[in-house]
Amino acid sequence: MILSGLIFLPIVFAIVMAIWPQRNTTRHVALGFSILEFLLSLTLLQNFDPESAQLQMVEKTMWIERFGISYFLGIDGISLMLIMLTTFLVPIIILAAWNSIEDKRKGFFACLFVLQAAMLGSFLAMDAILFYVFWELSLVPMYFMIGIWGGARRVYATIKFFIYTMSGSVLMLLAIIFLMRLTPEVTGGSISASLIDFYKLQIPFVAGDFFTAQTLLFFAFALAFAIKVPLFPLHTWLPDAHVEAPTPGSVILAGVMLKMGTYCFVRWVIPLFPEATEHYAWIFIAVGVIGIIYGALVAMVQPDVKKLVAYSSVSHMGYIIIGLFVMNSYGVNGALYQMLNHGVSTGALFILIGMIYERTHSREISKYGGLAAALPLFTIAFIIVTLSSIAVPMTNGFVGEFLILLGSFQYSPWMAALSVTGVVLGATYMLWMVKRVFFGPAGEIVQHSLSHKEHALQDLSVREAVVLAPIIILIFWMGIFPNHFMDFSKTSVEHLIQNKMNYTLSWKGDGN
Amino acid sequence: METKMNIAIGLSDILLISPIIALFLFSLIPITIKVLRGNKEQLPSATIVEALIGLALTAGLLIVFGGSGKTAFNGQLVFDGLTQWMGLIAVGAAAGGLILMYENPATRGNQLSELIFLAMNSIVGMLILVSAVDLLIIFIGLELMSLSLYLMIAMSHEQKISKEAAIKYFVLGSFASAIFLYGISFIFGTAGTVNLLDLMENAASLMGTNKLFLFGMAFIVIGFCFKVSIVPFHAWTPDVYQGSPTPLSSFMATAVKTASFAAFLRVIATKPLLGSQNLFDVLQWLAVITMTVGNVAALVQSNVKRTLAYSSISHSGYLLVGLITAGVSQNSAFGAGSVVFYLIAYGLMTTGSFAIISMIEKNENSTVQMENLAGFAKKQPLLAFCLTVFLLSLAGLPPTLGFFGKLYLFSSAVNEGLVWLALWGVINSVLSVYYYLRPIVMMYMREGECDVADDRSYATVVMVVVSALLILVLGLASGPLFQMIEKSLS
Repeated sequence: MILSGLIFLPIVFAIVMAIWPQRNTTRHVALGFSILEFLLSLTLLQNFDPESAQLQMVEKTMWIERFGISYFLGIDGISLMLIMLTTFLVPIIILAAWNSIEDKRKGFFACLFVLQAAMLGSFLAMDAILFYVFWELSLVPMYFMIGIWGGARRVYATIKFFIYTMSGSVLMLLAIIFLMRLTPEVTGGSISASLIDFYKLQIPFVAGDFFTAQTLLFFAFALAFAIKVPLFPLHTWLPDAHVEAPTPGSVILAGVMLKMGTYCFVRWVIPLFPEATEHYAWIFIAVGVIGIIYGALVAMVQPDVKKLVAYSSVSHMGYIIIGLFVMNSYGVNGALYQMLNHGVSTGALFILIGMIYERTHSREISKYGGLAAALPLFTIAFIIVTLSSIAVPMTNGFVGEFLILLGSFQYSPWMAALSVTGVVLGATYMLWMVKRVFFGPAGEIVQHSLSHKEHALQDLSVREAVVLAPIIILIFWMGIFPNHFMDFSKTSVEHLIQNKMNYTLSWKGDGN
Repeated sequence: METKMNIAIGLSDILLISPIIALFLFSLIPITIKVLRGNKEQLPSATIVEALIGLALTAGLLIVFGGSGKTAFNGQLVFDGLTQWMGLIAVGAAAGGLILMYENPATRGNQLSELIFLAMNSIVGMLILVSAVDLLIIFIGLELMSLSLYLMIAMSHEQKISKEAAIKYFVLGSFASAIFLYGISFIFGTAGTVNLLDLMENAASLMGTNKLFLFGMAFIVIGFCFKVSIVPFHAWTPDVYQGSPTPLSSFMATAVKTASFAAFLRVIATKPLLGSQNLFDVLQWLAVITMTVGNVAALVQSNVKRTLAYSSISHSGYLLVGLITAGVSQNSAFGAGSVVFYLIAYGLMTTGSFAIISMIEKNENSTVQMENLAGFAKKQPLLAFCLTVFLLSLAGLPPTLGFFGKLYLFSSAVNEGLVWLALWGVINSVLSVYYYLRPIVMMYMREGECDVADDRSYATVVMVVVSALLILVLGLASGPLFQMIEKSLS
């Protein structure tokens, strides 16, 4: 029941928020709810058995019997940490957006909670149609978040986001329907939408022939997830969505939503279509490498901080894709770890940019300069997060990127060599940005604040420090003791890598 | 050629058609009262209550007598699961239309009794249409339904454009009826019968061997394609939907379409498609073209009603996919069930959308453009939320009923190996998202003063909220509903 609770509590919260009568207390209530949800998710860690590759805490009841569609939730090492990331980020987001969401607060928090439920649902669903419902449901609140509370070009950005993502996922729906039609082979006659039954399917694969079942299904799924990740060249919705989204929207988008794409590669694509994955992995690795370098180069020339971070996301997601598609233990472990890292550090970058934007209402790098003198604490926090983002040892980013590079070296030293350029480029654009914003001669904004006493820049408030503290702690914790986190996913990843050609998942009470 | 002479009408026939009789009798009440009062209108609310009681009674009788599977009048009418479901959907959608007629300024005027009389007779035509298993009876049903409609469109409150719409609809509709009738004559000439139950046995073989039979069937299909606005027989739809008063647009888009699809389904269920690869191919292409043309044309519209008209064309395309599946499948209950299910979803979401447009219209001559919706969410959060639900459901987003409708429709197509139709269907869903999102953008993301007209009562609001709730609740409980439909159809 914990899993259902995790998904449906936020729905209840959303309804409560929508009808909450007092405007003043809305955000307090929302914060309380989100912390409650986080505490509930902590009980997962306690009940989770990291030694087992089985699905755990399974809930399964028939939903639509005619088509074998069930309400089927389960958790394993691959999804556990992403669940934790989701529930961890939401209270932080609410606290970070304490003053920045002035308008229609109730609606905003309702959207946020529905979004949380949809994201958790798509991480936990083990039934294809249930998964699809959550997957698509997550678009709607995000659409409203960007469209109502976003920046100047918000409508364009949000429609682009919606249509891009949906155009990928409808093909996946068709692929799911097709897979369901195949299931009677393995279930003994009855149709089923359960992922576990999908895993048992042996879908015919002919190398080199595009129009065969497994290849087509593989690309139908992969396209949906590649758009979500987003992989070069399908990434163009992301910079628009990030720039126009309000801070909480950007954080959720970068922190969790992009991970839905990469997570689903692990959950759906690799185990369902192992031959096709292996055969076409080079495409994804190549596109990943291109994404890394392209994202970094484009990030370097952005005049807008938020856009810079958005393009850095494209670059970072490239690493994760490479890690997944080299399909060895280092790569996949690193990719899973990097998903968390990216969620934490890019989320934090967006929060920090939001904080500075609240003070100055500008995101243009050229207007800043010399901010370190005015905002020393803020600068320290920003630099720590930057170091994590560019994967300096002792921070979380290092562990993930190192493992991915190790994995890709096993696959092909050339690929690894090319990917490493991304690390260098990443350091370049981030540090160069830090230099231009925080150091050097005082820029327009700092000068303005020095000359106008009433516009003096305030350093971190207590609330903001509380927002940043857990993230900074996590950055070091994950960097210094990665095993505390990786232990949860290790067994599941090993299970996947060793049985990738005949992957099955069982759960207690399953009988096999 | 044998002719059936033993025409005897028994009590069982009367009981079976009791929904139709009851509806006809109730249709007389408002207009009789008006005559007795010396041609003075009674209160509009009294008229509408009488009509709704009649519809409720009809629905009740349909539930009691409708699904027995028996035939009446010597096998001219059949009362099986399809009759029952399609009849209930048509009556329900028509009830929504009637409530709108009562509320909307364009139809509320001094001729409400006449309008309601005609509307209820149109529904009588629909009930005949959904139960007929004889091509001639189908024709009678079609004509009764359409003739009432032509009048309804023409007589509603002074508006030049609605007269134009009525003439357009009448001329084109008569032309389609003529083609339909022409087709019947071919069928009778070649098969010696126009009864679908008799045709069931040899339609497939006649299709392959007899060119004249093929002609006849093709003409009949064209007649239906006109009624359900399949491209290229759709050209009247946008003009008529836009020109008619909104309640009538809603009535046509939902109830009329449901009844026409029911009869279309019965004809297709005689399996003519199995005998003629050509007709099968043509229908598939028509489905694809209809979805695409409807959606592409809707993308560039600025009038909300016109957008909904094009959207209704594209939904006909989706429904045609289900129809084709039912026509070629061994187990046609799956395909037919998915059509019925989709029509339930379509009826709810389309009636709901038109209802909200109707509420926004200030007077009989107002038109609602996309940009007129700006700021609606601020003034009417509940209604804006409901319209959002309708639009997302029309776009086929989970967890709404529209999503499950599409899921079942496309599942049935994939099940029959018609993957490419399902592929076009899902691609079209993406296309349609763009224009379904536009009203949402207007309502939520633009500043404006859009509000419900002051003089409206709560009847429409209740209807809208109930529809939205049904779309969400039935969406989650779609499994049992679908199974119930499928079971009653097989």
